[in-house]
Amino acid sequence: MNQPELVEQLQRGEASAFRKLVDEWQDMVYNTVVSIVQDPDDADDITQEVFVQVYQSVSSFKGESKFSTWLYRIALSKALDHEKKKRRKKRFGFVQSLFGGHEEEQLHPVDFDHPGVQLEKKEKAAVLFNALKQLPEKQRIAFTLHKLEGQGYQEIAEIMHTTLYAVESLMGRAKANLKKILDDYYHKNLADH
Amino acid sequence: MNNQEHIDKMTEEALNSVDGVQRATAKPYLFTRLTARMERPTESAWENAGRFIARPVVVVAGLCTVIAINALIIVFNNNNTSSSNNTVAEQQATPDEFSNTVATLYDIENNNEP
Repeated sequence: MNQPELVEQLQRGEASAFRKLVDEWQDMVYNTVVSIVQDPDDADDITQEVFVQVYQSVSSFKGESKFSTWLYRIALSKALDHEKKKRRKKRFGFVQSLFGGHEEEQLHPVDFDHPGVQLEKKEKAAVLFNALKQLPEKQRIAFTLHKLEGQGYQEIAEIMHTTLYAVESLMGRAKANLKKILDDYYHKNLADH
Repeated sequence: MNNQEHIDKMTEEALNSVDGVQRATAKPYLFTRLTARMERPTESAWENAGRFIARPVVVVAGLCTVIAINALIIVFNNNNTSSSNNTVAEQQATPDEFSNTVATLYDIENNNEP
């Protein structure tokens, strides 16, 4: 089934279309979200939120962009909102822990293990994912979509509402920043050992 | 290989570690969990507000605010009382000290007569 047809069925409120949508796009949404939030349980929850949002607002989808582009935007926006909430929680984590909250686990998350990374590269990938968290938001989105979702620069430009040149620039800066962060990390890590 | 070359190599390997990565797959039965979530009744604004107010942080912050307001009121009242007491005392002291009406023995005797 092509995308416009699926969207039409969704807009008519057909339950079977919603099931098709979830079956077809769940991995794409989950992979995007888990690459940003770096927590499988949170990613599962956000993936559900994304599909609920799609179900509720599909009637407002005008078809000006591709459906997948629209879906990516919702997934990214939900994942980044979650990150912001988590950062706010972290800021007040100390106060919350004083009043019986169990925020310490969230404050010190373990290294993220992306399930799609080859076994022999897992250790290096965990270091890279930690470095990714330190990138500015736009660079992080561009890098995630390109490297982890396999999107081309043109698609990323459409998803991010920007130009091809801007995406190339974002990717260049993302790689340079990551190189610097990783270099600092290994300098410190090798000096400690 | 010197230290910097070793670090450069590790950095490069880390950067390339996600090349050829497979897409992470969603947990099983996502659709079932999703429909269960959508069928769950949504909470009203009052329920959300109630849960927010019942949070320990909010309760403690509220109590602290009430205690702080009470303390401020007590401190201000004490200041006002002591300053008003001083004023009354000062008002009484002035005529006593500078009074030009002198009680004489004659006045006292007259007052004591039945």
